[in-house]
Amino acid sequence: MSTSTISRQRLAPILGRTARWVLGKLGGGIFVLWAVATAIFFGIRMIPGDPAEAIMGGPGSQASAEALAAARAEYGLDQPLYVQYFSQLWRLATGDMGTSYSLKTPVAEVLGELIPPTLVLAVLALVVAWALALVLAVLSTRSGAVGTAIASGLEIVSAAVPHFWLASVLIMLFATALGWLPPVSTSTPAGLVLPVITLALPLAGFLGQVMRDTMARAQRSAFALSARARGESEIGVLLRHSLRHAALPGIALSGWAFGSLLSGAVVVESIFARPGLGRSLLSAVTARDIPLVTGVALISAAAYVVIMALSDIAERLADPRIQAS
Amino acid sequence: MNYVRPKATRLFSAAAAVAAALVLAGCAPASPAPESGSEAGTPVTGGTLVYASGDAEPTCLDPHVGGNYPQALVASQYLETLYTKDASGQLIPWLAEDSTVSEDGLLRTLKIREGISFTDGTALDAAAVKANFEHLLDPETASSTGFLALGKIASMKVVNTTTLELTLSTPDSSLLESFSMPWVAIESPTALKRSQEDNCAAPVGTGPFKVESWKKQDAVNLVRNADYVQPVATEGHDGAAYLDAITWRFIPEAATRYAALQSGEVQIIDNAQPDTIAAAAKTQTIKHLDAPRPGASNRIELNSSKAPFNDASVREAFIHAVNVDASIDSLFFGTAPRSYSPLSSAEPLAYSAESLFAYDPAKASELLDAAGWSERDAEGYRVKDGTRLTLTFPVSTSQSIPAEQSLFEQLQATAKESGFDVKIKLLDLSSWYGELFKNDYNLVSAPYTKVGPSVLSVLFHSDSTIPAPSGYFANLSQVKDPSLDALLDTAGSTKDEAERKDLYSQAQKKVLEGYYLLPLYDQQNHFLYSEKLRNVGATTAVATPTFFDSWLAN
Repeated sequence: MSTSTISRQRLAPILGRTARWVLGKLGGGIFVLWAVATAIFFGIRMIPGDPAEAIMGGPGSQASAEALAAARAEYGLDQPLYVQYFSQLWRLATGDMGTSYSLKTPVAEVLGELIPPTLVLAVLALVVAWALALVLAVLSTRSGAVGTAIASGLEIVSAAVPHFWLASVLIMLFATALGWLPPVSTSTPAGLVLPVITLALPLAGFLGQVMRDTMARAQRSAFALSARARGESEIGVLLRHSLRHAALPGIALSGWAFGSLLSGAVVVESIFARPGLGRSLLSAVTARDIPLVTGVALISAAAYVVIMALSDIAERLADPRIQAS
Repeated sequence: MNYVRPKATRLFSAAAAVAAALVLAGCAPASPAPESGSEAGTPVTGGTLVYASGDAEPTCLDPHVGGNYPQALVASQYLETLYTKDASGQLIPWLAEDSTVSEDGLLRTLKIREGISFTDGTALDAAAVKANFEHLLDPETASSTGFLALGKIASMKVVNTTTLELTLSTPDSSLLESFSMPWVAIESPTALKRSQEDNCAAPVGTGPFKVESWKKQDAVNLVRNADYVQPVATEGHDGAAYLDAITWRFIPEAATRYAALQSGEVQIIDNAQPDTIAAAAKTQTIKHLDAPRPGASNRIELNSSKAPFNDASVREAFIHAVNVDASIDSLFFGTAPRSYSPLSSAEPLAYSAESLFAYDPAKASELLDAAGWSERDAEGYRVKDGTRLTLTFPVSTSQSIPAEQSLFEQLQATAKESGFDVKIKLLDLSSWYGELFKNDYNLVSAPYTKVGPSVLSVLFHSDSTIPAPSGYFANLSQVKDPSLDALLDTAGSTKDEAERKDLYSQAQKKVLEGYYLLPLYDQQNHFLYSEKLRNVGATTAVATPTFFDSWLAN
């Protein structure tokens, strides 16, 4: 039953399944983006205040009636709500995210500057979290009941720690007391260490918990037993067989994890004064900068959709059983 | 030895004489000064100062556009004003050389200083100043603060290269004070002709530094203006600034900002919170600059337009029911001296009435009983005709620092003992303005920065109860008193300094004795800086620090 001899008849249904899967993902993704755009369009209008004011310098501006009217006309805010809604959807569908009220620059341009630093932060945090979780899972599984208890305690604590608290403690410890690392983000890699750790630790706690459970189960399973019977060393069983199992829930969780990293970025980027999507989302909401809020939310939602699809694919690659079902 | 940079010297007696004629002499406030003593050492040229601001990053570096305090802070490094305040708080000409006003107060003649250039090479002259005023008054610019300050200018005429004539719609006794605010700073007319986007990114002025680049959400990079000439000689040094450059960073978290100062990552931070100021006082390495903002004091306004505060005796009772002093002492660690005036202590014409604001629950009880609020319900709150004595207090979390929010909670607790049910609502800025617009408040606290006592007209004239198109109005106690309006109008247009002082004092007495407001303290403006940064303390008329004379010790 070697895979190199797949016949035409067997390939066609696989291709069909793949196409259906891709279309399903695509449709789901578009639905999510539409829902996000709609929720934001109506949600942000529930906050009291006039969006024209946001254009004229924020709440409490003493802009004249003429200036406000001009701003409303320029941004189409004098149109009926449903017209604004559909023209907004149309613009978004054609890739036009509009101009930021507060920064007066195209949202696409602003996002272009903000995505890279946030992406670097989130990806590094994801990698560090994965590494920490795996190391902890392997070490604790190897070291028996006491090790498991200690690791489990560490995981629960770190998973429960809020970002802002962790950030403050890390700053006090590594910047103020020890002076090893800068408390604010700098252009050097040293400035990335504390923000990445702050984001990675709680995530590592979550990932570690599920990975260790699965790994322990895999270690007790029949295939592990047969591998041992074949003369495989204990560490070999762990790394070659159980690890793959342990990684599965981790991969499945990574899509969700990435979403949590983006929301964590709002806190972490503000505390460490790092430029990025999270920090600008906060200031955009405060300034009622509707186009920028919409842009950041859509980009985050799109990233989430893509990562979910990727983790789906990775899961299929790591576990052939999924394909068969 | 001179740790405060005086912007005028006694040598400049002509200017001083003019200033003395314009501003009432003899009651200058204590100017901002570092808490440390003399700073020995020879100034060192070079180095980059890293400044960390806790304010929201401005969306435009040109303070003509919009016009808020964070813009003023950074713009004070690269823009200069026609007038300024010297170390003693005296208003003095700066880019202007002199100014006269006609007998009827309607024609203001400005003499512009010669020999000064903007950093793009454009010369400063009367036409340049006119171009700036036109830029401020142009609706396209969307200026709010500067626009209001120049609101009485009806027309302008360049008489010759150094003379500008301003025709006013009504006499304006506060015009020169307005000219001292960074929101009315003078920029290169050549640079102003660029698009607003370009001008926002790098305004061009005459200051000791110039904008080199601005990386949004990261830093504004300022470099030394090598050709800088101080318009007025000072006791400090001549020529260009000591510092090579200033990196203006934005670090929104107060704790991170302080940690960055402690670790030497930055050398000065603004928006220093009371707890960190107290902590810094225990160190040898961090110093403190307290620079209260001019204009109004921080105060709680009592909305007199609706029940229960439409009854003056209920207002008076509330003021005696809250224990302000004890709460300020415990929450601000001695960093915020109590105010008893509607005006900041930085205002020479501030009038205080301490005796009106004693904590006296017995008197509060007496007043409330007499006003018909004699019954109490099961929870201990006072009731009249079935209505509880409830006070709605919307609080803006972006304008009130955490210590101030705690202060309001403590006032709520002491007011409860006298039977007031104070309902504090913590709100974001938009929602907070929404509550004010709906007149859905009994108590409110809002800052207002402006140079000079004319801020009293903004806050207490009945005209200010009429909302702007955006819904904004500044008279939040909603005083409508024709006799008060008359006092404010006359004070705003008189040429007689003694009369102006007397009228503004009467106006302040009136609002204080009417119990329209509960003064708390000056608008807090604290900076903490590394002891390596020397000669800190000079500020503009709006109490924003300037770093022309500052230098970094090795």
